[in-house]
Amino acid sequence: MSVAEIPETTRAPLASGVSAVGVSRRFGSVHAVEHMDFDAPAGRVTALIGPNGAGKTTLLLMLASLLQPDSGEITVDGLDPARDSAAVRRRLGWMPDTLGVWESLTAREILVQMARFYRLPRSGIEARVAELLALVRLEDLADQPARVLSKGQQQRLSLARALVHDPSVLLLDEPAAGLDPGSRVELRTLLRNLAAAGKSVVVSSHVLSELDEIADGAVFVNQGRTVKQQTIEEAAQQGRRYAITALDPAALAAKLTELGLEFQAGSGRRPSVSLMLSHDDGAAALLRDLVTAGIAVVSFGPASGALEETYMSLETERK
Amino acid sequence: MSVEKTLPGPAPVPDPAAGRAAVAGYFGGIRDVVVLEMKQRLRSRGWYIMLGIWFVVIALVTALTWAGWNASMEVRNSMPVPDGMPEPDGPGSAIFEVVLAFVLLFALLVAPALSANAVNGDRAGGTLAILQITLLTPGQILWGKFCAAWLAAIAFLAASAPFLIFAVLLGGLTPGHVLVSLVMLAVEVAVICGIGVGISALAGRPLFSIVVTYLTVAALVVGSLIAFALGVQLTQGTVMANQPQYKGMEYGSGTMPGPGEPTYTCAGPLVEQDVLRTERVAWLLALNPYVVVADAIPYPERTVTPYYYSGGMIENISQGARAAIAGPEGTYPCANGQVQPQYLKQGTPLWPLGLVLQIGLGGLLLRLGWRSLRTPARRLALGTRIA
Repeated sequence: MSVAEIPETTRAPLASGVSAVGVSRRFGSVHAVEHMDFDAPAGRVTALIGPNGAGKTTLLLMLASLLQPDSGEITVDGLDPARDSAAVRRRLGWMPDTLGVWESLTAREILVQMARFYRLPRSGIEARVAELLALVRLEDLADQPARVLSKGQQQRLSLARALVHDPSVLLLDEPAAGLDPGSRVELRTLLRNLAAAGKSVVVSSHVLSELDEIADGAVFVNQGRTVKQQTIEEAAQQGRRYAITALDPAALAAKLTELGLEFQAGSGRRPSVSLMLSHDDGAAALLRDLVTAGIAVVSFGPASGALEETYMSLETERK
Repeated sequence: MSVEKTLPGPAPVPDPAAGRAAVAGYFGGIRDVVVLEMKQRLRSRGWYIMLGIWFVVIALVTALTWAGWNASMEVRNSMPVPDGMPEPDGPGSAIFEVVLAFVLLFALLVAPALSANAVNGDRAGGTLAILQITLLTPGQILWGKFCAAWLAAIAFLAASAPFLIFAVLLGGLTPGHVLVSLVMLAVEVAVICGIGVGISALAGRPLFSIVVTYLTVAALVVGSLIAFALGVQLTQGTVMANQPQYKGMEYGSGTMPGPGEPTYTCAGPLVEQDVLRTERVAWLLALNPYVVVADAIPYPERTVTPYYYSGGMIENISQGARAAIAGPEGTYPCANGQVQPQYLKQGTPLWPLGLVLQIGLGGLLLRLGWRSLRTPARRLALGTRIA
């Protein structure tokens, strides 16, 4: 029997992640999103990066099947949200940027309600909720009304809420906002684990250094358009700015000039210089050269994250 | 059997068990939304305070009405009773009417507060999209919100039920009166809740939708009367009628006519008479919640002539509304040479029309609200963010 003969309904859609092709959406005269392309494959963490008002949240709302694009196509695991909305929603977990909680309900009740709304089998709900509460470390506060939770705790509850039905596509709008450093590390581990389990994870964030550690790829958007789509490896290979400080800045400058490298005085508090290096091997070689030349190097490291470098270069191009 | 199923042709008959499961799933979703809403309402202190104030105010109204009735009875008993004067009704009827009017008034005031921020309040709090992203359909969310608002309003009616029952115990009424009036109050409150939830789904801001819902209630209660009064002026018409000959007008001549029996006969040629054709605008009265409730409640049996009896408020509203819908053909003396039925004999009720119009209005607003809850959303209300 060929594939074509299998009825549409029995062919299980592949967990192919979420993608958007040429989507546009306007609100009145404001073009929030204009012909944007976006692809978040399964098994990877994809970062959605852009300045405020770039259209990130609008794009996520469209990916989450809440907002209909004016044009363009969106698929979630190969399904069209407008036609198969129930099937799509079973696969989608969405964590909004606005913190909306039912304040008088406890964390446990909120998760139980969500499980009901996703029509999970009743017998499994209690165990599932306990598991999620443990995952986001809210067990101690599980029976407190949600209004007593701090912003970061509510943020973790919101994440648990998005995970309640074990979605294969996870859309997170600014998940790290308001989290303490410990929770950020946990969030990073959690998201890496989810991606390793074959889920497609989309994270929008401003904290670019954070995303360097989490994301496999990034989509840069600005003014409603997709500006650049690259993987973290590509970002690392495009070169990175390094900052160097030495006890004797003059000697350092002289040596760099001798090596024929272009550099500029740093903007930091300590007298430093910064320069572009195309790859990590070059950085290692330069450091060795400086040290063997007797320059007293105090610090030598990337001035910015790989994604930040792309982001800043895009910002510069725009100006 | 299995062979038949694989054959191409008309769609297979839907499995009744699957259909039942789908229906159960739909109502299960509504119930889950109601549970969520009720948990939140029951945990807010304001709701209990309102309920307490409601109970105290209605208790006060009942007590004052009872005291007032007792005082008027004392005055009445100190005077000589004219011949043929019926024994007055017990205090039950008067208390019942006053309490019913107050309960309806307060219900009309409370229902918008309970319903008109149901959807956009969630939108403002960022929790509506949380529901929309789940497997719940817009219909389940809307019906759930409506049922929760209605249940909360019913709690207020339940708090006033003791006073209506008290009125029945004081005499003059049957338990049927209480039952019918509570059912009608519940229906009226449902209409207002439907209007409120519908408007809250359409309007961007809770404050705006609450104000609009209150204005809608005001339009139904006061506006319908004003519209009727103004509209009636535009219904000038004529009717063919001849002359009524009143009988039994001389004091002490023969027998008095029984209640509702004609007091005249018709004679003479038919002449064109100027009248107001009230039946053309009577539907405006049907929009009024007071008219609908009053018209639906049956009157106590009367055994005496209305000559001595000024009917209760409920009765008067009902008969007035029924006379309006009957029009001059049914009320003008000797219209078309026919003897017309008297007070208490207007049989055509107005309340079914009223319920159809009111439920139609609430249903229309809910339907429009449902459209605004559909996802993926195409249009957003101005100035709203979806999340």
